[in-house]
Amino acid sequence: MMTKQVRYEALVKALHGDLYRYAYWLTHEKQVAEDLVQETFLRAWRALDSLKDEKAAKSWLITILRRENARRFERKRLGMSEYEEATITDTRSVTTEQELENHWLREKISQLPPEYSEPLVLQVLGGFSGEDIASMLDLNKNTVMTRLFRARNQLKEALEAEPVKRGIYNG
Amino acid sequence: MDDLNFRRTIYADPTNQDADTVAAQQVDPSKKQFAQEISKLDERIRQALNVPVPDDLCNKLILRQTLASHQVHKRKTRVHLALAASVAMVGGLMLNFLQFSSVYSNLGDYALAHVYHEQGSVTNNASSQVTLTSLNKKMAAFDGNFSESLGKLLFADYCRFDGMKSLHLVYQGKNSPVTVFIVPKNQQLSFSHTFNDKQYFGRSIEYNHSNIIVVADKNESLGQWQQNISETVFWSI
Repeated sequence: MMTKQVRYEALVKALHGDLYRYAYWLTHEKQVAEDLVQETFLRAWRALDSLKDEKAAKSWLITILRRENARRFERKRLGMSEYEEATITDTRSVTTEQELENHWLREKISQLPPEYSEPLVLQVLGGFSGEDIASMLDLNKNTVMTRLFRARNQLKEALEAEPVKRGIYNG
Repeated sequence: MDDLNFRRTIYADPTNQDADTVAAQQVDPSKKQFAQEISKLDERIRQALNVPVPDDLCNKLILRQTLASHQVHKRKTRVHLALAASVAMVGGLMLNFLQFSSVYSNLGDYALAHVYHEQGSVTNNASSQVTLTSLNKKMAAFDGNFSESLGKLLFADYCRFDGMKSLHLVYQGKNSPVTVFIVPKNQQLSFSHTFNDKQYFGRSIEYNHSNIIVVADKNESLGQWQQNISETVFWSI
């Protein structure tokens, strides 16, 4: 009982940040992302005994989170296609140049086809290898590598097409 | 490694450290520059995705789990308690059953067992005698009384043999004592008019609320005893 608790708390402390960021990227909403992470960890707690390899913990949690997210859509019957992701504005006050830039780049990632952006986010945010991503998304590794290549390629092109200075300039 | 292949590899995984990828960068400065550009892009992507995590999320997660498992725990304790109570109840019932249920299936077996149990405690020539009055006082518990004495009453007392309260009378017989039991009617024991074993034989008379059983050795005339009893016993209800 106690060891399970300790394991769980260690898992939460080490991985809740990455999971939240991934959830935020999936949902684009702080509150929804938070709920999703809570559901994920609650499920993880119930199934904690099935986690044998601690190194696999992160991909295990991400898999649970993806499943929970899919379930959320089953419940709500709310397709991603129903709204333009790019038009969703970040409610955080966009103040600094850096944040403006981040926001812009996030939009660009969101505009990528989901089959490209998903492996990219898993790779960059989750730090997963091509094999890990392939097993999580149920694809073969070559497909994953091709999608990663296309994702970065398109992002790079988008960045190059954009003028160096962005934002609203008055006067 | 040709340029296209190199670009594909770096695009797919900027952190690729394969020997030929590293070698290609060392040979060709433009490749090295490309790899650095993509690494920079990756860093920007990472920053963009690195949204601030709510400070209290970690604590919330632990709290929620603690509450959830506490409820499960509570539910479990309740189940355990219910289980323990059931076991205790079954145990109690079993004990009750074993203690108060008869091991004999009929009146005859019961009476014989009782006689053997107390055999020797009263001898046929004992000097003690119980008066009719004191016998009738004891009979009051069974709502009955004897109008006359049946013979020399050596012993009369209640005894609880095998969980059944009965009045145990021992009369002087020809060779050995004659035992008369007055027992309340019992659902568990089937009535048997006559019964015997090697040494004793017995007969029962059935009344409304009680049975009277006579057990004696084979020299006694049980019919006579039975007749005497039925002529002298009176039931108040």
